[in-house]
Amino acid sequence: MTGFIGNAWIWNLYAVQLECLLAIWGILILLSDAFAPTSNRRTIGYMTAGFVAAALLYSFFLVPLQGSLFNGMYRLDTFALYFKRLFLLALTMVLVMAAEFSPRIESGVAEFYALLMFCAVGMLLIASVNDFILLFVALELVTITFYVLASYLRRQIPSLEAGTKYLILGALSSGFTVYGIAYIFGTTGTTNFDTLSRHLSALGAQPPLAFTFGMLLVLTGLGFKIASVPFQIWAPDVYQGAPTPVTAFLAVGSKAAGFALLLRVLFTGLMPVQYIWGPLLLVLAGATLLYGNLGAIPQHNIKRLLGYSSIGHAGYMLMGIAAGNALGVSAVLFYLGQYAFTNLCAFLAIIAVTAVTGSDEIASFSGLGKRSPILGLALFLSMMSLAGVPPLSGFFGKFQLFAAVIRRAQTDGHYYVLAVIGAVAVVISLYFYLGVGRAIYMQEAEDPSPIPVSKPMRLALYVCMVAMIGLGIYQLPLVNASIMAAKVFGLH
Amino acid sequence: MNHWLLNYSVDWGMRNGHTPICSVWIILFAPLVAAALIALVTPKWKGVSAALSIGAIALSFALSMGLFLVFAVKHIAHQPHTIQWLVVGDAVRIEFGMITDPLAMLMLLVVTGVGLAIHVYSLGYMKGDPGFSRFFACLSLFTFSMLGIVLSNNFIQIFIFWELVGASSYLLIGFWFEKPSAAEAGKKAFLTTRIGDVGMMLGILLLWSRAGTFNFAELQAKLPSLGLSPGILALIGVLIFTGAVGKSAQVPLHVWLPDAMEGPTPVSALIHAATMVAAGVYMLCRVSWLILPSATALHLIAWIGGITAIMAATIAIAQNDIKRILAYSTLSQLGYMVMTVGLGGPTQAMFHLTTHAFFKALLFLGAGSVIVALHHEQDIWKMGGLWKKMPITFWTFLIGTLALAGVPPLSGFYSKDEILLLAFEKSTPLFIMAITTAFLTAYYMGREVFVVFFGQPRDRHSYDHAHESPLVMTLPLIFLALLSIVAGWHGRVPDFLGALPETGHHSVLLTGGLIAVPLFGFLVAATIYWKPEPSDAPVKAALGQLWTWVENKYYFDELYAWIVKYVQGTIATICDLFDRWILQRLGIGGLSVGTGLLGRTVRLLQTGSISGYAFLVGLGVTVIIYCVVVR
Repeated sequence: MTGFIGNAWIWNLYAVQLECLLAIWGILILLSDAFAPTSNRRTIGYMTAGFVAAALLYSFFLVPLQGSLFNGMYRLDTFALYFKRLFLLALTMVLVMAAEFSPRIESGVAEFYALLMFCAVGMLLIASVNDFILLFVALELVTITFYVLASYLRRQIPSLEAGTKYLILGALSSGFTVYGIAYIFGTTGTTNFDTLSRHLSALGAQPPLAFTFGMLLVLTGLGFKIASVPFQIWAPDVYQGAPTPVTAFLAVGSKAAGFALLLRVLFTGLMPVQYIWGPLLLVLAGATLLYGNLGAIPQHNIKRLLGYSSIGHAGYMLMGIAAGNALGVSAVLFYLGQYAFTNLCAFLAIIAVTAVTGSDEIASFSGLGKRSPILGLALFLSMMSLAGVPPLSGFFGKFQLFAAVIRRAQTDGHYYVLAVIGAVAVVISLYFYLGVGRAIYMQEAEDPSPIPVSKPMRLALYVCMVAMIGLGIYQLPLVNASIMAAKVFGLH
Repeated sequence: MNHWLLNYSVDWGMRNGHTPICSVWIILFAPLVAAALIALVTPKWKGVSAALSIGAIALSFALSMGLFLVFAVKHIAHQPHTIQWLVVGDAVRIEFGMITDPLAMLMLLVVTGVGLAIHVYSLGYMKGDPGFSRFFACLSLFTFSMLGIVLSNNFIQIFIFWELVGASSYLLIGFWFEKPSAAEAGKKAFLTTRIGDVGMMLGILLLWSRAGTFNFAELQAKLPSLGLSPGILALIGVLIFTGAVGKSAQVPLHVWLPDAMEGPTPVSALIHAATMVAAGVYMLCRVSWLILPSATALHLIAWIGGITAIMAATIAIAQNDIKRILAYSTLSQLGYMVMTVGLGGPTQAMFHLTTHAFFKALLFLGAGSVIVALHHEQDIWKMGGLWKKMPITFWTFLIGTLALAGVPPLSGFYSKDEILLLAFEKSTPLFIMAITTAFLTAYYMGREVFVVFFGQPRDRHSYDHAHESPLVMTLPLIFLALLSIVAGWHGRVPDFLGALPETGHHSVLLTGGLIAVPLFGFLVAATIYWKPEPSDAPVKAALGQLWTWVENKYYFDELYAWIVKYVQGTIATICDLFDRWILQRLGIGGLSVGTGLLGRTVRLLQTGSISGYAFLVGLGVTVIIYCVVVR
């Protein structure tokens, strides 16, 4: 709060302007539904995507603020801005997908867009969270909108089932979280991350048992968001059943939100007790890597495959957090950035294909390389980037994570085991990602008719592909951004 | 060489200070530009595509030659030239740099020289193929990646190009992807080599965590002062060696190379004989300062190489596909090179790499010429008597065979001689394995020549239609044949790399023996196969059960297929069991889309299907809390 106490409310307003913009636009969409004809469904989607893209550009003119806002609840530092931009990027692409997808939504298309906007508002808040209360509120804003979004295709059982599962399990994990927060508050008397960190440092000795108990419960809730073992069980079902734009937003936005919270909580408030959560995350990272990558092998539905793959990638990123050094944190941030482009690219292609074929089975992607060279290439490149094949961006993401783990291993030999597990996972992952590649290029399509690709879709695909290749060859911009963002934790 | 011309070109090269460096960048990027242009602009115009691709590699070859001459005449020390690529905090610093020491220059000449011949040859071989332009684009992409490996001055850069050659090799093996076997082979090659690559990456990171840099020169300077324990040093060496095991197809990751023969023959010649598979050996020589201090790593490398050499040679005696025999021969020769590195002789290994690139590319192109003449027949038992029909192919193939077998005064004799002498000095068991391999090499190559080119034609129809290949295919054969003859003379190649250590004087008996072994091999092959109607029957009878083993390649493929199937099956079973038993016992069965029945789904939902999931989440929380808190 230093430096601008006098007119703090101005700064508070400055800090939340992105959230406000999105919320206002979301309400406008709801209102427009009353007046605009239903034939404009797609146009509204594209307009909204354009608006969010503009907000993304605008976000680059925002300057990070020192200190915290809203009585220490909220931060607008480089870390927060990094994630806000990431969420806006994901939202733009997801809105393009939603517009493409809108003919398949029976009713309430405008609400669909609006819910996506409100969900994104929650994510933008999450980027700035500095207090357990705001953490819970923002997290619930995101999660509750996702309950509705996941079950949006009300007439389709898989969607309904996905929504129900997500609802019940999500509610359960939220329960754990809020219970844990209560324990933390009860043992330390604070919900603020900075105060908590000071309190724990001053404690010197082991924190009370009840505190550790509460901390683990909070981590449970966050583990659910990122789909880490042992809270990963929902991911394949929900990924498969939810409408594809929602799946994409789950894979990119919700996952990044979970990691934003995890990084913020662990490296500020809970940093003094790293010796407790460090080994735990080491084990969870290894287990998550193995579960996600092994489980993906027998899959033949591409959305389910990406569900398992998203568990696996949570494992890779947990490697960076477990490493607990500056390199590890910046590596996670870089990974999330490139993972957004890669995954969005895959989902964009999937939506375009399923709009014609109506099937998510990998077999229905046979001969895609011939039916639509651009979709084939986009999906193939994203699979290769997910597998970490250089010179695509995924390789440099993994490279930095592995480097962070090996660096940590010098002081703690257990991390060598994690590096080896990660290496095994990389080999396994190439096996199933190549399975998709083989369908695209090496198998004949039953119906060889070309697949149309709309202009906005094409543009979005080009952006993602250029980013995937570009960030593989010239990584510096994103690396610098992630280092700047990681600096807020002052790690070495 | 005309001296004034040489001086003139050197002076021209030096006039504006940094021209040699500029030319290195052009050498590397010309093929990439060609590949991009073909892919984006000229896929429709086949002639233009081929011209672009061939022009690019010709330019690279000419500039490499210029670089070489500048070095040879003026002895201009190479300047390291790097640009900063990526800096992550103070921890990771990666540059993009070029190395042009004698080792790199030699490899540049090999890659661009052999590559040029093969590019030209492809004009004839791929004529009329619907994917003509795509082929040349992939070929150029491969050339770019391979040159990247050669020129890299640090581990990360070499690793990226290392993977890029893997990817372009994948594209080229699966070039005829309509054939399921080709598609499958491409995938197998990519996956198998990746296993080695991941190990290599771990080795690179381990070394970096101790030394803090990826740059070869810096590492070499720092290594002695790091005080690494022998265990760590050996571990790093072995991990980095696993990359070479994958790429150079050493046991136990050798299984992909024979299958890679599904690709077009020029690809087999360029990628899977002369250059890419030799990249592993090149990389080991490039980092020999890292491997040489560790006796353990050296031992392992030498033995892996020796075993690969003799095992592949035994398999080769029972193969019936004209290209597969050559593929196993390649494995065997790569084993020689790796063994030589392990015996502490990187110079000898590079010498053999160079001569092998020439005569093995020649042999593959010769085989391709036969294959085209017989309308894509590859079974040697359907050939025979072709020497009259295809004289140029026959004579050049014979030169390649003699060079490979190590008959003086062809190049293969000199390079193999150095290897065998080194093995004789360092290790008796490996020497025995190596000399047996030399005998087998002469034997199976003799078998191939006698069966393919002599005897009665066994397929009369295709024999009558066979004719010598066009000039674009025979000229590269002649060019490579000349190189296969002269490349070993006067020890020029090893001298260039820095003279070989004096090996002392060996008895006349040893030298005589080394000459006699291949001749003996040919003799045995001739007695069995130099007949109007040759057949494997006498050998089969003599070897008995052993024949079945070598014919089936020691069942490696079956073993791996079984392991993959077993592992995948187990995972599928576990997933299934998990779904069926644990979840259903708890009231659910995964996502119940498969049932498709509204009533049933709702019932499942209502009867607490999710309570099972919730139970598992709760269980997870309990276990974590127990482990962390109670512990």
